[in-house]
Amino acid sequence: MSTVFNPADVQGNILRGYHKPRMRHLMLEVTDRAAARRWLAASTSGGDGVPQITTEEPWETKPETCFNIGLTFEGLRALGTPDASLATFPPEFVEGMNARALKLGDAGPSAPENWPAPFNDPKRVHLIASIYANEIAQLDRLQHQALPDGKGLRPLGAREGWCFDGDYVHFGYRDNISQPRFKEIHDSESYSDSQPMAPLGTVLLGYPTNFEGLTWRVPQPEALGHNGTFNAFRVLEQDVVGFEAYLDKAATELLEHPDVDDLLPPGAEANIHLEPGDSLSRHAALREVIAANMCGRWRNGVPLALSPDATDPSPDVSKTNFDYDGSSRCPYGSHIRRCNPRGGQIVQRVANNSRRLVRRGMPYGPAYDPAKSRGLKKDEPERGLLGNFIGANLGAQFEAMSCDWLNLGLQDPRVTGSNDPLLGANEPETSWFDLPLKSGAAIRLRGLPRFVRTRGGAYTFLPSLSAIRFLGSLTN
Amino acid sequence: MDDPLEAKSLETKSLEAKSLEAKSLEAKQLVDAIISDFPDHDPNTRPVHTIGIGVDGYFIASDVARSYCIAEHFKGQRVRTSVRFSNGSGSPVQHDGWSDVRGMATRFHLENDAATDLIAMTLGEFFSPQVKDFFEFTKAAQQQPYQMENPWRKILDMLQLKIPLRNPYPKETTSADAGMLCYANRHRFAQLAVFQAASIGAPVSYARATYHAVHTFVVTAPDGIRRPVRFSWQPVAGVRTTDPTAPPVDKYLHKELRDRLQQWTARFILMMTIGEAGDAIDDPTEPWPAKRLRIVMGTLTLTGVAEDQAAASEHISFNPCRLLPGIEASGDPILHARRGAYENSRERRHGTPCPFNRSETDAK
Amino acid sequence: MPSNAGWLDRFVDGLPETRFFQFVAAHILVPYWAWRTPVKLLPGGPPPSVQPGDNVQRMMNLVMPLKDKSPVGRAKAALAIAQNKDEIYAGLDNVGTVHFARFVIVDNNICMFSVYDGDFTNYIRHFIVTIGSVFDAVVSLVDGGDDVIPSEDNVEKFIEWVHAHDMYQVPDLATGILRDQEALNGDTAAPGNDDLRLLPRQLILQLNVNNNVSLGSGYRAYPGYSAAQVRQQFGSGW
Repeated sequence: MSTVFNPADVQGNILRGYHKPRMRHLMLEVTDRAAARRWLAASTSGGDGVPQITTEEPWETKPETCFNIGLTFEGLRALGTPDASLATFPPEFVEGMNARALKLGDAGPSAPENWPAPFNDPKRVHLIASIYANEIAQLDRLQHQALPDGKGLRPLGAREGWCFDGDYVHFGYRDNISQPRFKEIHDSESYSDSQPMAPLGTVLLGYPTNFEGLTWRVPQPEALGHNGTFNAFRVLEQDVVGFEAYLDKAATELLEHPDVDDLLPPGAEANIHLEPGDSLSRHAALREVIAANMCGRWRNGVPLALSPDATDPSPDVSKTNFDYDGSSRCPYGSHIRRCNPRGGQIVQRVANNSRRLVRRGMPYGPAYDPAKSRGLKKDEPERGLLGNFIGANLGAQFEAMSCDWLNLGLQDPRVTGSNDPLLGANEPETSWFDLPLKSGAAIRLRGLPRFVRTRGGAYTFLPSLSAIRFLGSLTN
Repeated sequence: MDDPLEAKSLETKSLEAKSLEAKSLEAKQLVDAIISDFPDHDPNTRPVHTIGIGVDGYFIASDVARSYCIAEHFKGQRVRTSVRFSNGSGSPVQHDGWSDVRGMATRFHLENDAATDLIAMTLGEFFSPQVKDFFEFTKAAQQQPYQMENPWRKILDMLQLKIPLRNPYPKETTSADAGMLCYANRHRFAQLAVFQAASIGAPVSYARATYHAVHTFVVTAPDGIRRPVRFSWQPVAGVRTTDPTAPPVDKYLHKELRDRLQQWTARFILMMTIGEAGDAIDDPTEPWPAKRLRIVMGTLTLTGVAEDQAAASEHISFNPCRLLPGIEASGDPILHARRGAYENSRERRHGTPCPFNRSETDAK
Repeated sequence: MPSNAGWLDRFVDGLPETRFFQFVAAHILVPYWAWRTPVKLLPGGPPPSVQPGDNVQRMMNLVMPLKDKSPVGRAKAALAIAQNKDEIYAGLDNVGTVHFARFVIVDNNICMFSVYDGDFTNYIRHFIVTIGSVFDAVVSLVDGGDDVIPSEDNVEKFIEWVHAHDMYQVPDLATGILRDQEALNGDTAAPGNDDLRLLPRQLILQLNVNNNVSLGSGYRAYPGYSAAQVRQQFGSGW
């Protein structure tokens, strides 16, 4: 196992974000094995008109467009990867995301049976090509360049993302705030973060991992597996209408609650702002308090752990440098705490910092405009998040987090039996979420509906450049 | 449908659209259909669970019952009860020892002549999820001639690793077994109930069987939380059936109960299982997983066989929809259909009417 | 017996209890039907579910045949556990999701029966991280175990190996096994022509393939709570 890191061998969209405002994922099917292989070989060098894969090599000037690929298990098989090699890939990847539905909480409305094309036919989704650009015209140009005639690779469908408001996503939260930091990577936007540096093996195969003494099996041969990683690509539809309606309803009910003054002391609404200098009513402020508790951050990204009462604390607080201790006012069940408990107390003590993921997401669909909307879900266009959740081992990281932490809440007995308030598989008859009070007691919110519905996805392998060359040079 | 609230209101509207007349007709048809399964039915008796015995007793709720359900009988005071044990068959000929489902109907007597009923049987799941399926089931479960299987057929069964059909009981000339089996083979939802009914046997005592209320009810707690639940009576003395290889005795259960209650009391624990999102709420054919929370809601103590059996066993009329504020029926269509069927049957056999409690849950 | 039963009827009724028939059944009928109407191996462990009650207090039932099938071999297994008492407790307390774990030697098998919360692979993976050396010590004594140790270097293979040795849990209610077999065959459509009388044979054939099974998902006095919830409620710290 080589532990010398060569950035030119790794695809660029893994260890850093491109911060491009537009992105398109193309789901492709291999129709001609030989042609597909030639395409892959050409992509490593940019020959034959195929766009060149962007690597992790630092750049002096940011390119206009970036291009990367991922392969599903069926895709590896379609390309003729030898059986002995296929047998070295982990079982969850082999089964594919559709088969892992119950582990991921994809039941009911999120069940794979309800996914639209092309995700309803997972055996044909072989390759996901991702284009990143500044304008739609550039996306079109690169797509045409990549697939001029559909020979060898047939497009089955596309999903397009657009940063409609900088780093803000649907539901109104600021996203892209913190990621694992790696010793080996110089991050130009370095920020202080109390979380320990993540070993490169958190993400890339072939390096020491988060778990002491443990290494993940690197798919063989070495050229194929080393420097590769696994990605859970998810199309997550967000019910913004339902979310805002729930905030309204919950805030209205809270106004009558006997303990509401513990949650938001009278007058404290002055510390809560959506726009600088605005003045919110008590109802509107309560909506923001609920939204912040459900997420773990105020909508502007300020963490509750550091600023539980004010959206714009003075002096400023770090958005990333915090941890959870016994006195933290960030709810145990809030979204960011469920997905990443940092150093906080959890049942599975050995697992602190072990399920970290690199998250690259971009919203899709038009921004929600409350003025234009009639507030009826069926009239709204589809919108949500296209998420890439990247880690070296799907089972140990993405799946482990999804089935025991996001849903079920096993990491803290005070939330066990409940699901993530934002993302979880919630049914209004049984869902609940506790808002902690300064006194130590809590107000229990009930009736949370499901706000996020899975509308597709796939487990993909993000191969290194050597791996792409290896696949391109197969001759069987 | 995008909006679950919209969907629910359409469902309620279609339920209400079934006019009173239509419900009444359905009730009559249901009772007719059940009677058709027992050609020797006596018109002055119940169409099923004909032979029974009335027993006196009292119920005391556990200390946690009131935190799950605000209903009157769970508040912790001593509540007088009237219980009727029965054999499932609709035939007037008593065959205690024949393999048959048993019933336990309990009336909790409350103040001002108010009452609530809980009707349970030894089968945990029902045969059909919808009323129309039940009609088909009664057609299939007709009595057919039943005789001992030819020994060569039995050998053929054994060679196929099948269990040969059981020998008929003395004087058993007809049976519904073949018809029920045929129905189960065509409908997977009925297989569990048919299989369990076929092997249910005969208890050594009415006080030594577990009785399940089958349907899901929704209980409301003092803090307003509503939970879907299923009730079961668990015998403190334990469950015991007679030896299936020994020749069956036709009449023993009534005497056994009299003797038992003269010597000591018989107790049952009321177990309430709480369902989770995703469990079958409106489908009485689907069991709930064993890993659900079970709450002990209280203890029923039976003190003696009732003096006036005519009143306590024959004229008394239970109804599974006789509920109280704090307990509601789920959307289970069979449960709702039973309301009318039991009323129709009561009218036909001139049973004693008992008012439904004036609460909006009964209006449905 | 009915009064018109003749000697042949009585003979046939008593046939299944005879040693002759039991021999014929075990050595001729079962192999024949296993060939004619084969059944697939059903996977071990609790069936996956999204409901919270189904994801706590789950059973793992492992039966691992010892390489050394003698008292010496059994003693080695017993020592392997006894010498690792601190390791096992450190693992148990810091993984936090195990209610009970029992190591049992039955004939020449070292068995482990445990009750745990949450996902199976997470449970095993955490134990590999904390007590991988104990796993290695025990599994090195087991038939076929050498392929998957050291567990820390063969994490995926080890987890799959344990999963393969985890017993299939026969559903609590008899007809459930038919549904499991149908699901494995992809037969989920509503049928029209099952034969419920074949249930005994289906059960026999399944137990011919899944030799060791757990009968039901286990009986619990206080279902529905995680280990940490119990500790927290009673003030033992979690």
